[in-house]
Amino acid sequence: MKTITLTPKKFSSIALEFDELIPDKVYDWNKEDFEKYEVPIGNSRFPLTDYFDIEIEGSAEGPEEVKMILDGDMGRVKYIGCKMSAGDILVNGDADLQVGAEMTGGSIKVNGNAESYAGREMKGGSLEIMGNVREYCGTSYIGEWRGMSDGIIKVHGNAGKQLADCMSGGEIYVDGGCDILAGIHMTKGYIEIGGDVTRWPAGQMKNGTVVIKGKLGRLLEGFEVEGIYKNPEIHGKQLTGKYIKYKGDIGVNGKGSLWLNAEKNRDLL
Amino acid sequence: MAYEEPVTDYDKIVENCTCAFCGSNCDDLDYLVKDNRVVAVRHACRLGASKIMEDEDQRLIVPMIRDETGELVETDWDTALDKAAELIANAVRPLFYGWSETSIECMKKGLKLTEYVGAVIDNQATICHGPTVQAVQNVGYPLMTLGEVKNRADMVVYSGSNPMNAHPRHLSRYTMFPRGWFRPRGRYDRTLVTWDPKFSDTAKMSDIWVPFEENGDYEFVNAIRAVLKGKELKKDVIAGIPKEDIIELTEAMKNVEFGALFFGLGLTHTLSKQRNIDIAIQLVQDLNAYTKWVLLPMRGHFNVNGFNIFLSYEMGFPYGVDFCRGYPRYMIGETTTIDLLNRREPDVFMVIAADPGAHFPGGALAHLTNIPVIQIDIHWGPSTELADVVLPGTFIGVETAGTSYRMDSVPIHMKKAIDPPETCREDEWIVNELYERVKKIKEASK
Ligand code: SF4
Repeated sequence: MKTITLTPKKFSSIALEFDELIPDKVYDWNKEDFEKYEVPIGNSRFPLTDYFDIEIEGSAEGPEEVKMILDGDMGRVKYIGCKMSAGDILVNGDADLQVGAEMTGGSIKVNGNAESYAGREMKGGSLEIMGNVREYCGTSYIGEWRGMSDGIIKVHGNAGKQLADCMSGGEIYVDGGCDILAGIHMTKGYIEIGGDVTRWPAGQMKNGTVVIKGKLGRLLEGFEVEGIYKNPEIHGKQLTGKYIKYKGDIGVNGKGSLWLNAEKNRDLL
Repeated sequence: MAYEEPVTDYDKIVENCTCAFCGSNCDDLDYLVKDNRVVAVRHACRLGASKIMEDEDQRLIVPMIRDETGELVETDWDTALDKAAELIANAVRPLFYGWSETSIECMKKGLKLTEYVGAVIDNQATICHGPTVQAVQNVGYPLMTLGEVKNRADMVVYSGSNPMNAHPRHLSRYTMFPRGWFRPRGRYDRTLVTWDPKFSDTAKMSDIWVPFEENGDYEFVNAIRAVLKGKELKKDVIAGIPKEDIIELTEAMKNVEFGALFFGLGLTHTLSKQRNIDIAIQLVQDLNAYTKWVLLPMRGHFNVNGFNIFLSYEMGFPYGVDFCRGYPRYMIGETTTIDLLNRREPDVFMVIAADPGAHFPGGALAHLTNIPVIQIDIHWGPSTELADVVLPGTFIGVETAGTSYRMDSVPIHMKKAIDPPETCREDEWIVNELYERVKKIKEASK
């Protein structure tokens, strides 16, 4: 087991890019390698040691034996854990854009908030965010029609707009509320939102499942009631309470299911 | 409007010039020229004519640099270009914004400079039709040329757009009033529909006005699509429109011979942004099961579409392209101008043929006051007040020839009618000169 701890010591308003500092690439680096390394900032590269104190303990045979601790505010560090396939990353603070984007395995935990595009096009592994995420969590690349395809994202706070657009697999759990168009264009996968949702979940959805345990502000006309179920079992999980099940989006001949907590959404009954 | 005597005192007429104002790119203008000045413009609307004729007002004539006291002082071209080149060469996160009111030829030089220094290149789409471009990438682009609309369309819908004020000749030249091959009676053969929360000037002259509530666009279009698929609407009022009206409108749209949907920033910049366009495009796709429908964004500047076409062709991405890692990257919210400025990332900002000073949100402008700004433009404007180096360019379509793309992606050659002021330089020349000078500095420091 190898523990790599990076403690920030200087702030750069131009974001640092950490796509090269993932367990897959650094598992065999020693301290000198880190000290030699220059991190991309804007159109240049600067020594990593200008920005971080580096500590390394233990050794690793492969990325799965690496634990990286980014010990502080990473609010201007983009692409943390981008494309990683194994190992653990712990961020003790906020994370900037694209945390966990395109990851295929391993785990990332952010003890703070995450900026937009967290878990974009995720293909595996797990991403846990203790705070809120901004827009486009678990989405596709712009113009791509396949978004997150596997893996798990857990958000303990709230999620922003267009959560998981074009999702084609995997699971997303949001404990808090969620803004417009969660699961838009989704074709497969599971989204569970614990809190309230502003408007229009699952617009243009073709398939997959969205569960909303809180109150929904506005539902689209493209959804038709299929029935009301008590303690339904959805996606292999037993939910408690009454749920209204909708099918849609009719506009795209969708066969997706949208489950709304009946108690909280009595106006729709 | 007071009667104005026709202008009879002129030396020559330059025919078939192209208006360098809105995305309609009217290319049937005649300039009346006297003493190397355009004294009158025939055929243009008031917006276009006033831009072309009153251009001398507040014209930037000589290069300027801001001195230690904060005043812009006139200087020579060499000093100004060297200063700008030095700023660009030493920048870590340079951002080159604008380009929509200059020629494709100039953009080409701009892209070369951007790639060389690893900058971000972006245009006005980032604050206007960017969401349109994203949606087009997602679900396709059922577009046409304006000529097809003129000859065929019997229903024209304007959504979130007010061409009577913003593209004044759009209706008279392309969509509503002209007599077309299949529409011999012009206006009488066509139905004009406006979807807009506001009773705009276009809505006032429309046959049908659909005032859906603000931010209700997505829900409204979703309902039309559900009706098309045979669903009985549940709610009585959807996005502020009674369900009977939605059903009636859907029927009307199904039963035309050729429908065209035009949309503006009223659709791209409400709550659900690119998803409004996304669903509108899909609606057009659905309608094509019944009859011919097409769609087109109402692009603002005369070459804003040109930039997107040019950059997509060259780099595969339409706007907001970041070369900082040596290869092109494009990510809305990360490599786009407003987001970069709000995050206070750029350390040098070059604006060419655009006026961020007038259009950017306060937070973004606040950062511009902290960093060096280079301006290439023909007019004094709010951005000049922010600029540290001012490089006066020439007027494309009047003083310099160039290529532009109309909103329907038809390329148009813009003529030169008069000579530019002696002290000004062509945009293309300025950008190329910057490239040469930056290269010299970079190579010297290697
Ligand atoms: S409609 Fe637009 S392009 Fe045509 S003359 Fe008016 S401003 Fe110029």
